[in-house]
Amino acid sequence: MMVKRPRVPWRQFIAAAAMLVLPALAHANADVEKNIADSKNWAVQAGDMFNQRYSKLKQINTGNVGKMQVAWTFSTGVLRGHEGSPLVIGDMMYLHSPFPNKVFAMDLNTQKIKWKYEPKQDPAVIPQMCCDTVNRGLAYAEGKVFLQQADSMLVALDANTGKVIWSVKNGDPKLGAVNTNAPHVFKDKVVTGISGGEWGVRGFINAYDINTGKQVWKAYSVGPDAEMLIDPEKTMTWTDGKMAPVGKDSSLKTWQGDQWKIGGGTTWGWYSYDKANNLMYYGSGNPSTWNPAQRPGDNKWSMTIFARDVDTGMAKWVYQMTPYDEWDFDGINEMILADINVKGKPRKALVHFDRNGFGYTLDRVSGELLVAEKYDPKVNWATHVDMKSGRPVTVKKYSTAANGPDVNTKGVCPAALGSKDQQPASFDPTTKLFYVPTNHVCMDYEPFKVEYTAGQPYVGATLSMYPAPGSHGGMGNYITWDAGSGKIVQTKAEKFSVWSGALNTAGGLSCYGTLEGYLKCVDAKNIQKELFKFKTPSGIIGNVFTYEHKGKQYMGVFSGIGGWAGIGMAAGLEKDTDGLGAVGGYRELNQYTELGGSLTVFTLPN
Amino acid sequence: MKSKIVRAVLLAWPLAAASLAPQLPASAQDKPYKVVDGYKVDAFTLTGFRTWRAAACDRCHGANQEGLVGPSLVNSLKTLTKEEFVKTVRDGRLDKGMVSFSANKTVMDNIDALYAYLKGRSDGAITRAKVELMPEARAGS
Repeated sequence: MMVKRPRVPWRQFIAAAAMLVLPALAHANADVEKNIADSKNWAVQAGDMFNQRYSKLKQINTGNVGKMQVAWTFSTGVLRGHEGSPLVIGDMMYLHSPFPNKVFAMDLNTQKIKWKYEPKQDPAVIPQMCCDTVNRGLAYAEGKVFLQQADSMLVALDANTGKVIWSVKNGDPKLGAVNTNAPHVFKDKVVTGISGGEWGVRGFINAYDINTGKQVWKAYSVGPDAEMLIDPEKTMTWTDGKMAPVGKDSSLKTWQGDQWKIGGGTTWGWYSYDKANNLMYYGSGNPSTWNPAQRPGDNKWSMTIFARDVDTGMAKWVYQMTPYDEWDFDGINEMILADINVKGKPRKALVHFDRNGFGYTLDRVSGELLVAEKYDPKVNWATHVDMKSGRPVTVKKYSTAANGPDVNTKGVCPAALGSKDQQPASFDPTTKLFYVPTNHVCMDYEPFKVEYTAGQPYVGATLSMYPAPGSHGGMGNYITWDAGSGKIVQTKAEKFSVWSGALNTAGGLSCYGTLEGYLKCVDAKNIQKELFKFKTPSGIIGNVFTYEHKGKQYMGVFSGIGGWAGIGMAAGLEKDTDGLGAVGGYRELNQYTELGGSLTVFTLPN
Repeated sequence: MKSKIVRAVLLAWPLAAASLAPQLPASAQDKPYKVVDGYKVDAFTLTGFRTWRAAACDRCHGANQEGLVGPSLVNSLKTLTKEEFVKTVRDGRLDKGMVSFSANKTVMDNIDALYAYLKGRSDGAITRAKVELMPEARAGS
C-alpha cells in the first residue's frame, strides 16, 4: 500500500516540546492563524487560508495610491519566471527564486540578508521542468520556512538560521515528477503536490508532519479507491442534480486498461483550507497524454475539484469539471472560499475559475454544484454546463477527440493555458466580487499518437496560440465576477495575458501585474479606473502582496518574465504562414521586456 | 518570417547520395532531406518530423523551431555540425535545460532523420514545421 498510517502521537509531542514554540495542545496551525490575523504580515501565499488575497491594510488607498513610489528593490540573481510572492512575518521577509530555488531571509529593519539557502539540485531536473523552472513560493509556520524544491525535495528550514531541520523526497524527478507548487501548512501538516502531467506522472497530494517531515497521508488523483483515499460509499459527487456516493472503482472504470498508471491528474496549484469543516480544497490537472484517442473514458479524477479531510486525507467530495479532456484544461487553479449569496441564498461557497473558461461556484461543505458560467464570452469548446449532470456540453467542431489524431482542430477558445492559469484571483469582501486575471487566447490543437517512455516527455499534441479572434486584439482581460450569479461585472482589456496574482485591499484597491512589467492598481469599485501604474524591471507573473512595517504599508511584486506565458513570447509564429494572423501576440513582448528576477516594493512618500 | 526568402530555392532534387547521408561524413550530407513545395518530404524526413513531435521538442524550441525557452534550431543548425547535434541530443545540456534523450529509443533510433528534418527547416528548404509525405512516385525517385 502506498498509504502510510498516521504517526504515533508521542513522537509528535516530543517534537513539539523540543521546539518550545507553542503551548501544549495548541493546534499546530495556531501560529499560522495568528500570523494571518495580524494584517501587518503577509503570512501565507494568498494572505489567508481561504485564498482570498485580500488585505485589511488601508494606508495606501484610492485617494493616495497615485503618489505611491518605489521604496526599495531586490534582485534574486535568477533569470527565469518568478511566480508567487515573498512572505512577511514580523520584521522578516522570506523570498524565493525559481530554480535553483534560493531562499533569502531579509531583515526588514536593516534590509540585510540574514541568511540565504541554496540547495544543490541535479541540473537534470531543469529540462524536466520544461519549459520553465518556476517556483510559487514558501510557507511559514512555527519558526520554520518550508521550501518545495524543483527536484521534489520538501525542506523545512530553521527560520532563524536557514539550517535544514528536515527534508523529504516527494516524488521521483527521474520520471518527471518535479515540483513548482508552493507548500501549504494546514494544522500540523505541510501539504504539497506534484507536477509532471506532460511526463505521464500520476498525480497525488502528500501531507507531511511539519515537525518531522514524516508522511502522514498520500492521496492519488487517479487509480484504485484506496490509493486515492476515496471511500466508495462516503465520498460524494454531483450526480443527476444531487450529491451521491461515487461508488466502487470510480476512477478505474473510466480508464482503458492501465493508462491510469501514467494518467496525470497532477496537483501543482494553490490549496485552500476551511477550519470549520476541516477540509482542504485543490484541483487536479490534465489526464496524460494530450492525445485523447489514447485514453477513452472520463479519466476520473483528473480535472477535478477535491475536498479532503486534512487529518486523514479522505475525500469528502469530488467534482470533475472536464471529463475526458481534449484541450489540456488542467483543473489546478485555486479554490477561493468565501461566504456569499448564491442565487439569493447565503452559502459557504467555493469559487473556482477553471482553465476551461467556466467559473464554478459550489457549496464547499456539501460539494453541490451551484453555478457554472463562462467568465470569458469567447469560450467556445462547450455551449454550457448541464447543471443536472454537471457535465459540459461540448461542441463537435472543437472536439479534438471527434476530429481525431493528426487533424488540426482550429479556433478552440480558450487555449490550453486556459481562460486563466495558475495566476490567482482575489475576493473583496466589501464589493463581494472576484477580481480575475485572465487570458484571452485561443488555439489550434493537433493531437498525435505518442509512446510512453519513463522519464521522457509524454505530450502528444502540437498547439499554436493566438489572441482571441474578433475581440479587442489583446491576449488578456482583468475582470470582476459575481460568483453568486455567474456574471462578468466589468472587463478591463489588457494587451497581454494577465499572468499575475491579484490583490485587493481595504484601501479600495485592486492591484495586478502585467506581462509588459507594469504593476497596476485600479479602483475596486470600478476597475476601468486605473489609479497607479509603474513599469518594473521585467514582465510580471508574480503575485501582488502587501504588508506593514514600522507603521508604513508596503506593496510588492516579483517581476521576472517566464512561465508558460513568457514562453508564449515567441508563440504564434506559425501565424505568419497560416493566415489567421497573430495580431500582437506574445511575441511582441520582446518589445517591452527581458528576463530578470527582482522584487519591487512600493510605499507612499513620507 | 525568416524562412520565406528561401521558399522556392530548393525545388531541385538533392543528389541521390542524400538518402545515404546519415552514413556519410558531414561534408557530404549538406542536404540529408528531400522536399518539394516546401513541405512535401521523403519518408525519411517525415520520420524526422514525427520524432520531433513525439519527443515534444516544440515545448522548448517552439512549434516552428523558432526558439522559446530553448534556442532557435533554425539558427542553431546553421552552425552546429551533425556530430555536435547528435551529441547535444544524446547527452543534453542539462544546465541550460536541454534534455538528455539517450534513454529515448524513438529519438535515438531516428536521430539521423531528426537531423535531416531540422536541417531542412534550418536551410529554409522546408518552409513550414508540419510536413507531409511527398507523392509516392516522386518519393521513389
